[in-house]
Amino acid sequence: MAEGAPILRIENLTKVFGKLRAVNDVSLDIVDGEFFTIVGPSGSGKTTLLRMLAGLEKPNAGDVLLRGNRVNDVPANKRPTCMVFQSLALFNHRTVGQNIEFALKMRGVSRAARRERCEELMKVVRLPQEFYAKGVTKCSGGERQRVALARALASDPDIMFFDEPLSAIDYQLRKLLEVELKDLHRETGKTFVYITHSLEEAMVMSDRIGIMQAGRLIQIGTPDEIYTKPLNKFVSEFMGEVNTLPVQVGSDGKFDCADLGSQFLGPQTDNGIQSGYLVIRPESMRFLNDPSEADNHVKGSLFNEYAMGSRVQYHVRAGNQMLVIEKLREMAFRGSINDDVMIGWDVKDSVLVSD
Amino acid sequence: MERRGKRWVNSLIVVWTGVVLLFFFIPIAGVIISSFGKSRYFRFPVKTWSFKWYEETINANLTENLHVTSFYVAGCVAVIALVLGFFGALAFARYDWKGRIFYQRLIMLPIFFPQAVLGLALLLWFTYVGVLPSWEAAVFAHLVWIVPIVTLIISIQVYGFDVSQEEAAFDLGANRWQVFREVTMPALAPGLFSGGLFAFLLSWGNFPLSTYTSGADSTVTEWLYTKMSSGYTPMIPTIGAFSVYGSIVILFIGYLLLVMRRRRAEKRA
Repeated sequence: MAEGAPILRIENLTKVFGKLRAVNDVSLDIVDGEFFTIVGPSGSGKTTLLRMLAGLEKPNAGDVLLRGNRVNDVPANKRPTCMVFQSLALFNHRTVGQNIEFALKMRGVSRAARRERCEELMKVVRLPQEFYAKGVTKCSGGERQRVALARALASDPDIMFFDEPLSAIDYQLRKLLEVELKDLHRETGKTFVYITHSLEEAMVMSDRIGIMQAGRLIQIGTPDEIYTKPLNKFVSEFMGEVNTLPVQVGSDGKFDCADLGSQFLGPQTDNGIQSGYLVIRPESMRFLNDPSEADNHVKGSLFNEYAMGSRVQYHVRAGNQMLVIEKLREMAFRGSINDDVMIGWDVKDSVLVSD
Repeated sequence: MERRGKRWVNSLIVVWTGVVLLFFFIPIAGVIISSFGKSRYFRFPVKTWSFKWYEETINANLTENLHVTSFYVAGCVAVIALVLGFFGALAFARYDWKGRIFYQRLIMLPIFFPQAVLGLALLLWFTYVGVLPSWEAAVFAHLVWIVPIVTLIISIQVYGFDVSQEEAAFDLGANRWQVFREVTMPALAPGLFSGGLFAFLLSWGNFPLSTYTSGADSTVTEWLYTKMSSGYTPMIPTIGAFSVYGSIVILFIGYLLLVMRRRRAEKRA
């Protein structure tokens, strides 16, 4: 997906608010038709970046190129892009139909043609036709999402921007809408640029993901690359619970972990990191009967166990570290609290990252 | 047992509400009823009924002069206060600018200033800058007091308005004027309506500011006060009654417009 002509090119984009560099020298190519998600914690500058791409905010430095044309000075209403806002920003004094038809009305499309396009869009976003004359304030959360989507799609934009539209929705509906959004992306073939603070949400939908931290885009990759090769501790912990062991690379190529008072075998370091963190995912950790069963092993005591539906999670205290292990429910470990246990992992399942 | 107790409480509430309403409306009804009396004095109950004082009032062109002056003043005040109050409210509630806190405090001042003193101060000021007391001068005097109130009323609506609606409209291809006409105005319309209504009513009923600044152009309230303090005439209840009739007609027209609009919206849907 990463090859092909970029529909949107961002070059050294910077935005400063007072003393704060909200977006700091960001460069990125977004390919025509891809689903690109920018992930970062709140305050990382992702919304500001998106607003500059949509034309709602002017950059202090750098360029935004749309199909090769510089659009820095083109305001939002003249750009062939459309945004779905975090608050959805539906026109509360209008009906569903009037909301969806807004962009067409502004372009002087006739009433009959507007109505026809609106009915078509309502089918695409799976809104029942009888909602046409319903006031948007009378719609449920999910219905309002669909209205916002249809409204943004109405003018047939080249790129759709999404500013965390699912953040205020309860878990079940969010999961449903994530899938629908990915399907919509497939059906329309448009370029989607999505921002969220949930890497999990990004994984479900995206072709590529960019991680933002303190105004900088620190890692770009496919969901698989981000998952298996996180750039640093920040990215690896963003994914959810992982084990991060602070280590020093010794002269013999082994990893010294002062916290656990032991040495580990680790992956070959070609990135010259001398000290950092060894990242091991909970599902790569396993309980051992004998040290020879895995490349590395640690002794500890079982602190607690947590049933999580299809999986069971165990916390094992070792030294001053709490290690996390996850097993499928049918392969659960039989042990009781405070038992002495031995756990381990293989070199291929660990990654060395910088701080 | 419990149901019976509830019914008892309910009927008590009904009676209480009725008494409160009666207490409010008896004076108004009393004025209207006594406007149909023949007597030279304000008397209740009315002994002999007639339209005599209606005839006299109309023949004296009193309604024409008084009500029309009051209407001009209140109308001008409502329109100007609405425009100033609207932009004032945007500055008050919408935009973050240097000195906004100071402005928010400053705008409260005229509201809490005693109106009689404010009227006198304004008269002195008008004389100093060479503005003769007239109904136009009264408009300005009213504005000093009413614009802050209208600003506050509209501000409440502005606070509740999600600004991203404007950005969404802009993003959907609307130009600045279309954003204002299609999104900002309709969203703030309830606030603008109540702001305008308040401006009109506060000006219509104002006495202390008008009495100092309107000069020879007498408003309804001024005339009523003057007549009551120096030489009662039975035209007073009649003039009062005319005001009530006017309000009823205006309310009725407003109601009709509302019904017609609702019907039209239903037909379209």
